[in-house]
Formats: sequence, structure tokens, C-alpha cells
Amino acid sequence: MVRLITHNLLACHVKDCNTNNFPLEFKDAQIELRETEFNPEFVRGIIPKLEWKALVDTARELGDTTLPLELPEMLDDDFLKNLHHVLLEIHVEDGVMICANCKHVYPISNGIPNMLLAEHEIG
Amino acid sequence: MTTLYLFVFAQSHDEFRLPELSSVAELNGIPYTLPLKPEDRDPTRPFMVIGLGKEDHAQILARRCILIKFVSVYEFYGQGSTYEELHAANRASRPLWEKFIPDTSFRFLVTSYNHKIPQSRQREVIESFSYMDFLGPINMKNPDITCAVLEEYFDTRGTTRSKHQGDGNFRQVFFGRLIEEGTARNLIVKFDVKKRSYFGNTSMESEISLLMANQTLASPGKIVYDPFMGTGSMAYPTAYFGALVYGSDIDGRQMRGKDKKSPGVIRAATQYGVASRIVDLCTFDVTHNPWRCGELFDAIVTDPPYGVRAGAKRLGRKRELSDRQRQLCEEHRMNPSSDDQPYIPPTRPYELSHLAADLVLLARYLLRPGGRLVFFLPTVTDEYEEVDIYTMLCEGMEVIANSLQDFGSWGRRLVTIRKTTSEKYPSPTFEPIHEPKVDHVPAHKDFREKYFQGFKPKEERGASKDSSTTPV
Ligand SMILES: C[S@@+](CC[C@H](N)C(=O)[O-])C[C@H]1O[C@@H](n2cnc3c(N)ncnc32)[C@H](O)[C@@H]1O
Ligand SMILES: [Zn+2]
Repeated sequence: MVRLITHNLLACHVKDCNTNNFPLEFKDAQIELRETEFNPEFVRGIIPKLEWKALVDTARELGDTTLPLELPEMLDDDFLKNLHHVLLEIHVEDGVMICANCKHVYPISNGIPNMLLAEHEIG
Repeated sequence: MTTLYLFVFAQSHDEFRLPELSSVAELNGIPYTLPLKPEDRDPTRPFMVIGLGKEDHAQILARRCILIKFVSVYEFYGQGSTYEELHAANRASRPLWEKFIPDTSFRFLVTSYNHKIPQSRQREVIESFSYMDFLGPINMKNPDITCAVLEEYFDTRGTTRSKHQGDGNFRQVFFGRLIEEGTARNLIVKFDVKKRSYFGNTSMESEISLLMANQTLASPGKIVYDPFMGTGSMAYPTAYFGALVYGSDIDGRQMRGKDKKSPGVIRAATQYGVASRIVDLCTFDVTHNPWRCGELFDAIVTDPPYGVRAGAKRLGRKRELSDRQRQLCEEHRMNPSSDDQPYIPPTRPYELSHLAADLVLLARYLLRPGGRLVFFLPTVTDEYEEVDIYTMLCEGMEVIANSLQDFGSWGRRLVTIRKTTSEKYPSPTFEPIHEPKVDHVPAHKDFREKYFQGFKPKEERGASKDSSTTPV
């Protein structure tokens, strides 16, 4: 936690921050790898929800280069296992996530990101 | 072909029984039929005869339904309001049991509900079944089959009676062969809050958490979300049934607890062996949430803040900030700290009927089509009307179950709503003022005020406080 599946589903939500507010950039990310049971149906099912490029770029930044730049047409088991690993087994335990647009900093401590906004950010 | 099975239900949370049965059946693709006569499917009665296509299905139900009792599922041979009627029915069921005649070891049990049958009559009852002519050996310890007679008596609690008084004046007697012991009730002990490594004063009792998890149709491959996660009570059984779980809360300390190293929710999940299924925990106000898109979750299960102990809050405030508060805000802006630090953003109260309507709108956005929203709605018992539930509904969302847990002057309703639409909706705006769609003020409106005024009738609401159970 923060796992990359989560990172791929969260965007900056500061008021009027609507463009270039995803993906958030990790900084000072402390990474842990933790095994999670593999469920190919789940991985297959989540693909339509993902922003593929953001996922691949973030994984590469964090040192995992197993995912292809383009989503393959054939979803074989090896691919699904790599995707499973990237989505669920890479945990960012500490660090921050920064919005490229408005520069809001979302801190992560003990794996829990603080996505709360300050008063002037909610309008 | 449909076979009839006799189920014994726990006498607990009556109104939750049929919704749970229906959810577990739907989850496992099990068709079933309930008794035709309303009095035979009255959930205040302990026994119910249910039609199923396969014996396996009875097992699946008994292993997952929290409200099915331990010694619980019988192949049904007959019932009656007298033994004459019962025996006539049982003789007609001969094709079901004649295969046991030649050499099956067996035992007979005679039990009752709301009564104790004297041993002498138990023996008489067993002898009255001698026409079945079972030739195999009687084996009380480890028989091939167990046949049971179950007498149901009216509830006589509160009246003084001698031990066996009224013996034989049963309402109905049932007979069948035991095929399955319900095991799901063991989970109530497994998830006992008092034995959990992390809990708080908002934790939900384990039986109810399990019932809620069943209402979500939790199973492997699904994602379930609790937007008012607190100490995570519903996350554990939901994850135990195989689903992945997301939790968020406006107050990170609720999910973390005091331990600086590992969040409390993760410690508790580890105790149940499901830590890897808690996908993530996030701190945010659900009315200002960072979800990038909708249709993410198979279910949302939650116990929204009632505004009494765990007050409903949202970011923003009514009054002007003090200089000190403004300074804190500014500091936070310049140097955001993590949510376990002293800075707590300003929040304002969130009225329950608004929160409920917002929750349904949010669920319509965040659920995939067919997904379920399962949540508690506290309400004032004397003022509740069916229509209250409809004041919070929106297009594309349909109530499929609504069960009361009664605490006297107040209660809470476990509401299950299905997203029936596959239209795309935008994320709700959480505008503070909702135009009521129905010209009706629901009983849960201003629940907090009503609670502190002791649920007086509308005319006499004053300032005194009720001393009964405190809603959290
Ligand atoms: C009744 S408690 C939920 C308890 C939880 N089921 C448990 O097992 O502990 C309600 C929770 O909602 C949180 N809450 C209140 N207002 C909120 C908001 N606007 N957004 C997110 N969480 C909120 C509170 O911090 C509290 O933890
Ligand atoms: Zn931003």
C-alpha cells in the first residue's frame, strides 16, 4: 500500500484542477514487495478501468519494466502474471504523490495516502 | 426436480433471514422455492421448508448463511399439526427413505423449539415411527443417518409454567433426515470484535458485519469499498469471503489506531489472514473524493456516521475561521503533513438525510452495473414509513432488501440497493442542499437531534436525553 492499482485509480481532486491532474508523481517512494494471490479473472476484469500508459510509466519509474508499452491483444498467462505483480504486489509505503498541475502534495505514511484537501482547495 | 429441505434458522435478526438467503442463493446461482402459505415463511418461526434442485445446494446455503443454525438442514419427509398428519405425510414420502430400510445404521432424535419434551414421551414418539421398518442397527454415536422429529411450540416466555407443562400442544411437528450442519455461525465467534487485535467504539458486531458482507455477494475476484471505513469491521468478513477491499475515512486515525508502525486495520486483517486483500486504505472526505473514474466496485458496504458518537462531518465550515485556524490551514498548505499529525482540517456537520441521498448518488457513480450498495440507516421507530427509503433513491437504483434491527425507540435498517442501470452518470456534486424528490420528510432526518431529545413525539420535543442504547 499504496499499490499501483490504487495509484492508477486516484487523481488530484483539488477544485478546478482538471487537466494534467493524473497520474500523480511519486517522490521519495519507499517500496515494499508483498506477495498477493493471483486471480487471472480479476486482472483481466480490471484492465478496461486502467490508464495503461500511466501504469507502465509509473511501474518503470519504480524499477519494474515487465509491462509492454502497448496493451497486448493476446492476454496470456505470463502477461497477466506480470500485470498482477505490478498492480497488486508493489507497495509504496512512504513518500509523497504530487500533482503535476497544481503541485498539491499528497503524503503517504505507513502505506496510507492522505488525500484530504485544505479548505481553500474545495471551493 | 425439486426436493424439499427443512432448514432450522437461528432466532436472531429475523428480518435479515430471507434477504440473506436470497443473496447467498443469487451468489451461487441456486434456484429455490419458499413455502406458499405466508405463515409457513414467517421469519419469526424457527423452521422453514425450502425447495431446492440439489442436495449440494442445501450444503452451500448452510455453509454461508449466518442465520442458518448449526444442526440445521434436513431432507424433509413431512409435517403436521398432529402426529396423525405427520405420519400420513411421512408414509407418502416413503420413496425418499425406503432405500434406508435394509441395512443402514440409524438413530432418531426428538427435539423441540420453545419447550422440553419429557424422556418418556420422546420414547413414545420414536416408537410411533416403527412402521418405517428400518432393519439396520441403531447407532447413537456414529450412525449412517440421523432422523429427527422437531416439535415447534408457541413462545411462552414471560409466563410461569412447570417444566413440561403444555407438552404435546405444539404448533407444528416436522420430520426429516439430517444432511448438513450449518457452519457459518462459527464465523460469528471467529470475527468477535472483543478478540480482534484492533477495534474501536464504532466497530460493528461480528454477526451484523457478516450479514452485511453476505449482502454484498462478496466472492473472489470482486472489489468492495467502504467509504466510512473506521476500524474496518465489514472489511474483514468481506475479504474472508474472497473479495478485495478498499477503505477510506475522513479521519485517518480511525483506520490507523495508536500503533505508529502498522495501521490497526492491517493488523486486524492479518489476524484473519486477509491482509493482502485489503487493497488500500486512504484518508479523504467522501464528499471530496479522488476516485478518477466511476464503475469501479462490485459493492459498497458501509455504516455511515449517524452523527451521534462518530459524528458525520465533511470538509468546510459554516463560520469564519479564527486567526489560529487560518494559520493552521496556511501551514498545512505550505507543508502538508500526514494524517496522523495534529492538523485536522475544519469540518462541518452533515445532516443524515443528505448524507443518505448523497451515498446513493455516489454508489450509482462508483458501482459497476448490477453492483450493490449495502448500508445502515438509523431511524426513529415510531415515525418510520416505507417511503422514507424512497426519499433517498435516485434513477437507476432499486431497493432489494430493507431489514430492521430494532432497539426500541430507535432502530437501524440494513438497506440493500442494486444498481439496475448501465447508463453512465457523472460523479455527484454533493451540493449541500437537496431538493427533496418526494414531498416527504423521512424519519431519519435530523436523527442526531431526535436522538438527544429522546425520540419524543413531534409535538413534545424538548431537551431531555434518552438513557437507552446509544447509537454510534
Ligand atoms: C459509524 S463509523 C464507521 C465505523 C466502521 N464501520 C467501523 O467498523 O469502525 C463512521 C465513520 O465515518 C467517518 N466519517 C465521517 N464523516 C465522513 C466523511 N465526510 N467522509 C469520510 N468519512 C467520514 C468517521 O470518521 C467514522 O470513522
Ligand atoms: Zn492538482
